Amino acid sequence: MDGSRRPFMRKALPYLLSLPALLVCIGILIPFGTAVYYSLQRYNLAFPMTRGFIWLENYTLLFTDPAFWNTVRVSLLYTLYTVGFELVLGLGIAMLLQRRSLFNNMMSILLLLPLMIAPAIAALMWKLMTNPGFGILSYFASLLGFPDFKWASASSSALFTVVLIDIWVYTPFMMVLLLAGLRALPRQPFEAAELDGVPQSFVFFRITLPMLTPYIITATLFRMLESIQQFDIIYAMTQGGPGNTLMAFQVAAYLERYQYTNVGRSAAILMVLWAITFLLSNLFIKQWLRLRERARGMG
Amino acid sequence: MERQTTTGRVVRVMLLTLVGLFFLFPIFWVLLMSFQTNQDILRIPPSIFFEPTLGNYKALISGRLESTAGVLEIRFMNNLMNSVILAVSSVALSLLLGIPAAYAFARFKFRLGEDIAFTLLSFRFAPPLLVLLPLAIYFQQMGLIDTYIGLIWVYQLITLPLILWIVRGYFEDISEDIEHAYRLDGNGWFKTFLHIAIPLAKPGIAAATLLSFIFAWNNFVFALILASADKQPVTVGALAFVTASGIQYGQIAASIVLSVTPTLLLALYAQRYLVEGLSLGAVKG
Amino acid sequence: MSYLVLDKLKKRFKNEIVLDGASLDVERGETVVVFGPSGCGKTVLLRLIAGINEPDSGTVHIAGQEVTYLAPEHRDVGMAFQNFALYPHLSAFDNIASPLSARGVGRAEIERRVHEVAGLLKIDHVLHHLPKALSNGQKQRTSLGRALAGNPGVLLLDDPLRNVDAKLRYEMRLELPRVLKAFETTVIYVTQDYKEAMALGDRVAVLMGGGFRQVDRPAAIYKDPDGTDVARLFGDPTVNLVPGEIREGAVTALGARFPLAGRLADGACQVAIRPESITVTLDAASPGGAMPIDLGIGETTHAVPVELDAVTPLNVRAVMLLRTVDGRELLATCSEDEASRLPRGHGQGQAHIRAADLLLFDPGGRRLRPGERQ
Repeated sequence: MDGSRRPFMRKALPYLLSLPALLVCIGILIPFGTAVYYSLQRYNLAFPMTRGFIWLENYTLLFTDPAFWNTVRVSLLYTLYTVGFELVLGLGIAMLLQRRSLFNNMMSILLLLPLMIAPAIAALMWKLMTNPGFGILSYFASLLGFPDFKWASASSSALFTVVLIDIWVYTPFMMVLLLAGLRALPRQPFEAAELDGVPQSFVFFRITLPMLTPYIITATLFRMLESIQQFDIIYAMTQGGPGNTLMAFQVAAYLERYQYTNVGRSAAILMVLWAITFLLSNLFIKQWLRLRERARGMG
Repeated sequence: MERQTTTGRVVRVMLLTLVGLFFLFPIFWVLLMSFQTNQDILRIPPSIFFEPTLGNYKALISGRLESTAGVLEIRFMNNLMNSVILAVSSVALSLLLGIPAAYAFARFKFRLGEDIAFTLLSFRFAPPLLVLLPLAIYFQQMGLIDTYIGLIWVYQLITLPLILWIVRGYFEDISEDIEHAYRLDGNGWFKTFLHIAIPLAKPGIAAATLLSFIFAWNNFVFALILASADKQPVTVGALAFVTASGIQYGQIAASIVLSVTPTLLLALYAQRYLVEGLSLGAVKG
Repeated sequence: MSYLVLDKLKKRFKNEIVLDGASLDVERGETVVVFGPSGCGKTVLLRLIAGINEPDSGTVHIAGQEVTYLAPEHRDVGMAFQNFALYPHLSAFDNIASPLSARGVGRAEIERRVHEVAGLLKIDHVLHHLPKALSNGQKQRTSLGRALAGNPGVLLLDDPLRNVDAKLRYEMRLELPRVLKAFETTVIYVTQDYKEAMALGDRVAVLMGGGFRQVDRPAAIYKDPDGTDVARLFGDPTVNLVPGEIREGAVTALGARFPLAGRLADGACQVAIRPESITVTLDAASPGGAMPIDLGIGETTHAVPVELDAVTPLNVRAVMLLRTVDGRELLATCSEDEASRLPRGHGQGQAHIRAADLLLFDPGGRRLRPGERQ
C-alpha cells in the first residue's frame, strides 16, 4: 500500500454518503422553482390558450382582492387561537405532571395519544361526535341549553369547532416539550424560594416562566409554523366552508387549483404563505438549535 | 411547586381528571361507536350500555357493505394495506438514505452537507401544496401518478429531514476517539460505521424511525393530491368512505378505529423513544 | 533508518500553527516520552502517527515504509487514548479482543491472548463487565490492554495516567515499564508530568514551539538542558535563573565569582542553579544558631549571604525560600532531616552554591557550553 499520497476516496467519501440526500434535495428544489414560475404566469387549466407570462399580476390581483384578505385574516385568527390556547393548556398540564410519579408518567403517555392520530382522521372523529342527529357533543350542548348548536356547519361556530379540534390534537405536543423543559430546569432556585417562603405566584412568574422561555419560544414557533398552514383538519371538516368562513391559505390554494383550475393564482397564494413560513422557520431553526445545544451541554 | 397540601392535591387530581376526559373521551367514544349498530348510535339519549357487535368490522374486512340502498363495494382494507406499504417503504428508504448522510454531516463538517441539511429542514416546514402543485403535473407526465414509487419518493419530504436531523444529533454525541480507536484496531471506515456508530446511535435511530413512521402514516395532503384511488392510504380513504357510505356511522367509526390503531399501539409500545423524538432533542432519555 | 521516523511534520488548524517542522527518530523497541507544556501539540503529533489526522507537509515512516497518508487501519499502530475511548456497548473482553478479531485471529487464540494481556494488567476478573461498570483504573487498564492486544509495531500512549487518581498513577508508573518491556514494542508516550517522563522514557523528547527542542536520556536532559525553557520544565521546585556576567574565565552572579571549567566569550548571561545545588548554613546570630554542613569532598562552593524567608516541608524534602541581599528570590532544597534543624521563622545565613552544577545560558536562553567541560 502506498502511503505517500492522499487517497482521492477519503476526500470524496462525505459527498458520496450524502449524494442520495442531495438528490432528494434537488427533487424538492425543482418543483419549488416551477411553482415560483407558475405564480408569475396566467395559467388556468380551463383556458390553456391564455397561458402566458404576466410578472407580478397574480400578486397584485391577490392584494386587491377582499377574498385574499379574508384568507389572511382566517389563517392569522386560526393561528392565534390555536397556538395561544395550546400554549396555556400545555403549560398548565405540564406543570400538573411535573413531579415524576408512576401516575404522572402514565398520564403523560396517555395524553400523547391524540397527537398520534392523523389530523384528518381526528376531524372525522369530531364530525361523528358533532353530528346534529346523534353526536354526543351535540347532545351535551343541548343539555347545556344549546339545542341547535351547529358546530362546524354554522359560520358562527365553525372557527370555534376547528380550533377545538386543533387544540385536541396538538396540545399534547406543547405539553411534551414544556414538560421536558420543566423537568430539565435546575432545582436550586426553587428550593431557595421555598426556604424563603416566597409566594407561588412569584415563583411562577419570576422563576419558572423566565427559565422556561427558550422552550416556550421553540414550541410556539413550531406550532405557529404548522397552524398557519393548517389544511387537513379544515379540509376534512368543512372544505373551507361554510361559505368562506374557514378559507385558510392552503385550503384556498387547493380550491383555487382543483375547483377553479387557476394554477397561477393558486401558486401565488402559496408563495405568500411560503414567505411567511420561511421567516418563521428560520426563527424556529435558530431557536431549536440553540435549545439542542443547551440540552447537550447538560447531558 | 413541591409543596403538597391536601386541597392542592384534590385540585390537582380534579384538574387532571378533566384534562384526561377531554383528551381521551373522543377516542373512547368512537371506539364504542364502532361496536354499535346504527340503531344504537342513533338512540337519544346516548348510552354506553348496548349489545356490542362486530358487524361493522366484518363489513369493512369483507369489503361489502349491505344497506337499504343496496350493496356498496368498499376498498377500505386496500387503503389500510396502502398505508402500510407507503409508510414502511418511505421510512425504510429514508433510513437507507438518511443515516449515511447524517453520519457524513456529523463527522465531516463540510459546506455542502450543511446546505443540504438546512434546505431539507426548511422545506420540511414549507407549505406542502407549494411543491405538490407542480409535482402533480410532473407525475402525470412521467407516469408516476398511479404508482407507489412516486408517493414514496414524495414522502421523503416528511421522513428524510426528521431522520437526518435526529440521527445526526446522536452521531455528533459519539466521541470521535471511540471511532478512531476502532479504526486503529484494524477496521475500515465502513465497519466502524456499522459496528460502532450505528449501535451507539440506536436510541436516536429508533426515535427517528418511530416518529417518521407516524408522520408518514398520518399524512393526508400528499396522497390526496398525488394518489389515484387504488393507491390511497387510510387518511384519504376514510374521508372518501365517509362521503360514499353516507349514513353508515358504525362502519365509519370502525374505519377510524382501524386507521388509528397502528400508530396508537406503536406509540404506547415505544413511548420512551416517542418522547425523545417529540421533544426535538431537548431531552435525551 | 530508524523504526519510526517523523520528518519535518507541519500541521496547522485554522490559523494556529501547532507543529512546525517536528522531526524525530525512534529505534525499534524503544520508549520515547514526548513531553511539553499543555497545548504544545503532543496529542496532534500522536494523531499524525496514528493516521487520525494528516500533516500539511512532512512525512511519517514506520518500519521503512511511508505511511503519511495511509488510513489508520493499515498502519500497525496501537493507541491508548487519554479519555480511554472504550466501546460502551462491548464488554471489557470484547474491547481488548477488538484488534485481534479485526485481524481475523481465531476464537481460541483470541481467548488466550486476551487473558494473557488481562493477566498482565490484573483485570482478569472484570472482563465480562461493560465499560460503565468498570472503575476508572480498570477502564484505563482495559484501554491499555486493547492497545497492546494486537501487538502493534508502534504503541501510542496519550497521557494514559491523566485521568486516574494519584495512588493509581503511582502504581502504574512503577508497573508500566514492566508491561511495556514484556511486549518489546516501540512506544511513544505523551505526558505533561515530568516525573512520568523521567520514570518511563528510554529517551525524553521535549516538544515546544512546534518542534522538538531537545531529545535525550532523562538524566541528560535534567543535567544538561539545551535552553532555559527546557531547564525550567524539569525539576520541582523549578530551577533558579539569575543574571550573570562572564569575564576572564569566570562568571559573576549573586555577587559571587565562579570560575569556569572552560573558555567562554565575555558578556552577559543567565545562570541556572538547581535548588539541590544550594546548601544553606545559618549565621550564629540567627535564631537556631549556626548550622554545620557537610559539603562533601573536593567540591568548590561559593557562599552568598541570604535571608531565609520560609521553609516548606514536602514529605522527604523541604523547600526553602531564600532572599539575597539585592532582593532576589532563590529556591533551595534539603532533606527533611536537615530542615527540622532550621528555625521556623526568618534567619540570616549563607547559600553555598556548587560551582560545578551551574548551567550557563546566553541572554536569549540558549545554552552556553564552556569548551572543555564534560
